[in-house]
Amino acid sequence: MAEVGDVRKAFRHVGKPVPRVDAPAKVTGRTIYGDDLKLPRMLHVKLVHAPVAHARIKGIDASKALAVPGVEAVITAQDLPPHRYDPDNRTRVLLARDEVLFYGQPVAAVLARDPYTSAYARDLVEVQYEELPPVLDPLEALRPDAPLARGSVQALEEGEVGGHITVEGAEARKEEGPRNVASTITFKRGDVEQGFKEAAAVVEGTWRTPMAHQSYIEPHVIVADYDSTGRLSIWSSTQAPFHVRNEVAKTLGLPETRVRVISTEVGGGFGGKIYLYEALVGALAMTLQRPVKLTMSRKEDMLAATPAPNCIVQLKMGMKADGTLSALKARVIFDTGAFPGAPLLPGCLLIGGFYKCPNLEIEGLEVFTNKVSVGALRAPGAHNVAFALESALDMLARRLELDPMEVRLKNAVEKGDPLPSGQPYPAIGLKECLEAVAKSQLWQRRHEIRAHPNRGVGLAVGGWLGGLQPASATVTLNADGTVNALVGAADITGTNTAFAQIVAEVLNLPLEMVRVTTGDTDSAPYAGMSAGSKVTFTVGRAVKLAAEDAKEQILRIASQRLEAPPEELELVDGVVRVRGREDKQLTFRELGRWSTAFGGRYPPIVGRGAVAPRLQAPSFSAQAVEVEVDPNTGQVQVLSWVVAQDVGFAINPMAVEGQMQGGSTQGLGLALFEEMAYDEQGRLLNPNLLDYRLPTTADVPPIETIIVEVPSEDGPYGARIVGEPSIVPGPAAVANAVADAIGARVFQAPLTPEKILHALGKIKD
Amino acid sequence: MRPFSYFIPASLQEALAIFQREGEGGRPIAGGTDLVVQLKEGGHKFPYPRYLVSVRRLPELRRLEWVEGEGLRLGAAVTMAEIEASPIVRERYLALAEGARVVGSRQTANMATVGGNLCNAAPSADTAPPLLVLGAKARILGPRGERLLPLEEFFLGPGRTVLEHGEVLVEVLLPPPLPRSASAYRRHTPRQCMDIAVVGVAAFLALDEAGEKIAEARIALGAVAPTPIRAHRAEALLVGRPASPEVLGEAALMAREEASPISDVRGSAQFRRYLVGVMTEAVLEEALSRARGR
Repeated sequence: MAEVGDVRKAFRHVGKPVPRVDAPAKVTGRTIYGDDLKLPRMLHVKLVHAPVAHARIKGIDASKALAVPGVEAVITAQDLPPHRYDPDNRTRVLLARDEVLFYGQPVAAVLARDPYTSAYARDLVEVQYEELPPVLDPLEALRPDAPLARGSVQALEEGEVGGHITVEGAEARKEEGPRNVASTITFKRGDVEQGFKEAAAVVEGTWRTPMAHQSYIEPHVIVADYDSTGRLSIWSSTQAPFHVRNEVAKTLGLPETRVRVISTEVGGGFGGKIYLYEALVGALAMTLQRPVKLTMSRKEDMLAATPAPNCIVQLKMGMKADGTLSALKARVIFDTGAFPGAPLLPGCLLIGGFYKCPNLEIEGLEVFTNKVSVGALRAPGAHNVAFALESALDMLARRLELDPMEVRLKNAVEKGDPLPSGQPYPAIGLKECLEAVAKSQLWQRRHEIRAHPNRGVGLAVGGWLGGLQPASATVTLNADGTVNALVGAADITGTNTAFAQIVAEVLNLPLEMVRVTTGDTDSAPYAGMSAGSKVTFTVGRAVKLAAEDAKEQILRIASQRLEAPPEELELVDGVVRVRGREDKQLTFRELGRWSTAFGGRYPPIVGRGAVAPRLQAPSFSAQAVEVEVDPNTGQVQVLSWVVAQDVGFAINPMAVEGQMQGGSTQGLGLALFEEMAYDEQGRLLNPNLLDYRLPTTADVPPIETIIVEVPSEDGPYGARIVGEPSIVPGPAAVANAVADAIGARVFQAPLTPEKILHALGKIKD
Repeated sequence: MRPFSYFIPASLQEALAIFQREGEGGRPIAGGTDLVVQLKEGGHKFPYPRYLVSVRRLPELRRLEWVEGEGLRLGAAVTMAEIEASPIVRERYLALAEGARVVGSRQTANMATVGGNLCNAAPSADTAPPLLVLGAKARILGPRGERLLPLEEFFLGPGRTVLEHGEVLVEVLLPPPLPRSASAYRRHTPRQCMDIAVVGVAAFLALDEAGEKIAEARIALGAVAPTPIRAHRAEALLVGRPASPEVLGEAALMAREEASPISDVRGSAQFRRYLVGVMTEAVLEEALSRARGR
């Protein structure tokens, strides 16, 4: 870390804490969000959400809704324009056709002149359902005699799963094998049975994490406008404008370039705002030839967006007497809901990807049920498996009377260690994170803390591999001497602030002279989606290249004008001068004018940067948590929290700390509160933020952040991915702290008072 | 939300006249922290009002005054924030301040009123158990004049009260506290704040002159029955007996039996019943220690 600290001193902007450039507008309420948009003749749509989890649609009668003054149309699946329907792809089933597959699935759209009228009329649409048995529990769903969650599951089994099975065995497997399987994954290394034989201790258990919602502040908002030239414009609070453009175009049968996507300010996404109803709203705008706005309410968003899956992990682990892991056997079951999309691959990679283990066997199953289908939530799949892995590791350490920190340090993966897939890790900093937590005050005080009755300290780690996608950017010089950077990535975490720092660093400008704009899909240089923690890591490199390109162009002109070679020139605060010659200089403003004005003699300065990164920069986090448990009520109060994360190089330490605290807070929420609860009919019981509890400020202790910097091999200034890892350890860290405090272990998140009282034997079923 | 009429009368008399004139289908609205949510989210089964009558600023409903010899007059439109901040409530009716303090967020507490909390008739209403143990009476005005009811008789079921069409809860009357008495309210919520009681328990204890035996006892439970209830049998176990931990424990066990909780998304019936036991014991201990301090 000392080395990087020295590097930091060499920089003017990067590595320094900077408040987000978009913060003042946000905290003063001046930011324009999607719901603020109004277009002439715009209609407001409300969706009719199915009140049943599984049913055949026998008929839809919209006459009462259509009679309401102000209602312009009620659209069902039959009324939609021709499009690419795909029963196995949630985003291509714009409205349920014949079968409802989850509670809350949209079956019709009511369009009216204002949102209140459409909401009122929506309740008057009469849909006749013939109810079918809902499949809700993923373990039940796998039984050979289970009913099918969806009609097309058979075709899927043949197409995706059946492809991995030899022809002779196929028939037998189909009859006896598990049902409702969307996909499977298997990883094997070494010989697990031998590994268990070598173990001095073996633990085994089943860990469960429930469905959870991303709970962004702003629910989904989409506005679509289909103009007279046949161009479809879509405003969406999406994290992935180019992805939305491509998917909408494919689904609605339009050329990509006839669809323009404008990503409005994202009021929180956490992976839940990639792509969902844009094609539907586009289709409605095309049908009615009027602009259409969909603003989902909290309830609608909780019913019918893409939450994170329910997960069951059956895990068995063996450890030698010296604390070395000898075997890991896991069965990871993700409940994907009614459509495929569960994070099976990351879950199965990561459960065997935090620790060295010579013998492992990981089987992953993605299972269909009649629940809303799932999407990403910050490091999708990772917290679910970490909850099991990190709990089991603590149980082994306790069994062998080893220190949980030592055990982790001993087994933690390092550069070159293979993932379950065999792929080796690049440079990573898991050990360094653990060492940082070991030195923290909280960890140093742990014996003192444990002397208090009902207090305990828990430790857990988590990581994320990170995404890769090509990215580009431009940097231009304005006539007034300021600089613009244009990118295509939605700013969800303060990335535009980091880009401003990078541009200001390269051109040695005051930060105020740089403006970063996120363009739309027509105007912006391409960037991948703002997901996978990769925006600064990938787009940041493109921005740096673009700024360097602009610098070269500036130097070329300045070199001519000042009659000095570029190597002798320096850039200082918007002035180019010959080193040591204060009299020989010109300003960015002059350059800007000469390259833009009437009769200007130089071409405009436009720097470009484009990258296609191929090497991931995974990031790990280690966290320690202090809790106090009330043994009478089972209530857990988190008293303190330390998070260390390897970020490679913190371009904006203030934003990085905010990410680490935000992720830890979400981890705390998943540990103690968050759960989408369903009844036996598959109806969501808590589609609101009262009974779906997020932590309040009173529930979250001060979170100490420790930035660890093991430089990445490929990121700008050594930066690596940042956003996702800090959510991963929370549930396991809290469960380990609770076990430390009261000597009882809870295997199911969230750790509610009721479950803790069960674990303590104070209440029984 | 659907269209409805909204009336802002200048006086209580005018409010009552509006209900008479407009007929069935009207509801009083004060802070609206429950009602507006129901208007938005209530769906088709919610009996959607045709009109609302704002009682929020009516002077008769805004009183918070101590009347020597009578006790406290607490207007129905007094807000949670005002109750919590009132020195007289904190001094003499602490359980009520404790109930008002935990309702919603600060924003909610600034709008929500005690009358609204009672008339919404949620079994979990946080001011109900404190008011029940403090011996509150409800003063109701309507087309057939005035009635004064013990609060226990006010609730009929979840969301249902004795109020008939055109009747308005004007105020709640609390008798002066007995000597050597104190009250307390606690609730269990998964979160530290911004939550709904899974179980709420209020207790009131008065000691005899020697300060040894319990002269009077009242226990009320929230969220464990169709309405907030008194635990009369548990109370009976306390009166006239020494204020010892064993006696309090016995009463707590009895309170468990008197609860008839249901299982829902906020907690199972057995969890709630268990909590009634541990919380009643804790709340009685708190009330006792406060009474001893007097």
